[in-house]
Amino acid sequence: MSNTDLEDDLRGTFDRAAASVPLATDLTERATTGARKAQRRTWVISGAAAVAVASVAVVGFSLGGGRSSPVQPPVAGVNTPTASTTVQPPPSVATVSGTWRPVQMAGVKSLKAPRSEDPVLVFRPDGTWGGSDGCNGLQGTYTIGQRGAFAATIGPHHLIGCDNVPHTGVLRAAKRIAVDSSTLQFFGADGRQLAKYTRAR
Amino acid sequence: MEFEEYVAARGQDLVRLGFTVSGDYQRAEDLAQIALMQAFRSWRKVRKADDPHLYVRRILINAYLSMTRRRSFTESPSAEIDPRSTVPDHATDIVNSDDLWRALAELSARERVVLVLRYYQDLDDRTIADVLGIKPSSVRATVSRALATLRKTRRSYRVDERLS
Repeated sequence: MSNTDLEDDLRGTFDRAAASVPLATDLTERATTGARKAQRRTWVISGAAAVAVASVAVVGFSLGGGRSSPVQPPVAGVNTPTASTTVQPPPSVATVSGTWRPVQMAGVKSLKAPRSEDPVLVFRPDGTWGGSDGCNGLQGTYTIGQRGAFAATIGPHHLIGCDNVPHTGVLRAAKRIAVDSSTLQFFGADGRQLAKYTRAR
Repeated sequence: MEFEEYVAARGQDLVRLGFTVSGDYQRAEDLAQIALMQAFRSWRKVRKADDPHLYVRRILINAYLSMTRRRSFTESPSAEIDPRSTVPDHATDIVNSDDLWRALAELSARERVVLVLRYYQDLDDRTIADVLGIKPSSVRATVSRALATLRKTRRSYRVDERLS
């Protein structure tokens, strides 16, 4: 058999095969419905992927921000320091330097009572502190470590009795401080707030 | 031309093309549907083509060749088939009456596609090469090899028939 004969036979075979195919119905509807379903599936998958990517980005940003910003470690108990929720420079000698007036002190109710001296605390850039309990001059040294770790020494001072403001008790018990532009807070070893001061000037 | 107009005019041709390449009516409808779905999704692009029907046929042929490369293509379904939903197997009649149709089953998918495009669709070698993404010389070589296989297989069928 020559190639031409075989080719002619092939044409005839394909034509007969094609002619035997029954009429397909609803091709348009099936194609458009299938395409729309596939498109919806693509949108759903794309949407889910976008949400997943956004979630990962948000979590990643949060974790990254937590590492790079000077946020304080969480503190148990009442009166969580405001510095833990706002971005502030880490406590340092520079940020605490100045004069501070007590506005809140654990167990002390008469901070606003009239006293012979102004009961303030003064932190100096050279690592010393001074002040008054209302009727006695106070002095000592202090250090501020990483993440607001705080330690102070109390120097010799008179013990004239009056309605003394117990700065020394606060400074002795304080293990950590938090500072923002107008507030200085002291926290004990258990994380509870010991005292809160505002900047006097 | 709108998509609906195209399907009305050419949809059945696509099913026929699917049947000649696959030899299976059910698969032929699937191939036509796949090709039309893809064409529908980018119909603006398809309708701007020089020959939209060639564009859609290319989709169908490539869908078939992709299908044959899958492992599942040669696997037999094991599920029970509802006889009420089956379609008549027109290939059975052709197989019984045409030894050449039987011999076509011995070819590779690409060889059979090349023969269909050349002898059923009457496309020239350059167009076939374009559809398949190969060189025209490869088309000619494939045709030559496929015809030789067909001639040999057909001869053996006839010998078998005479002996039986």
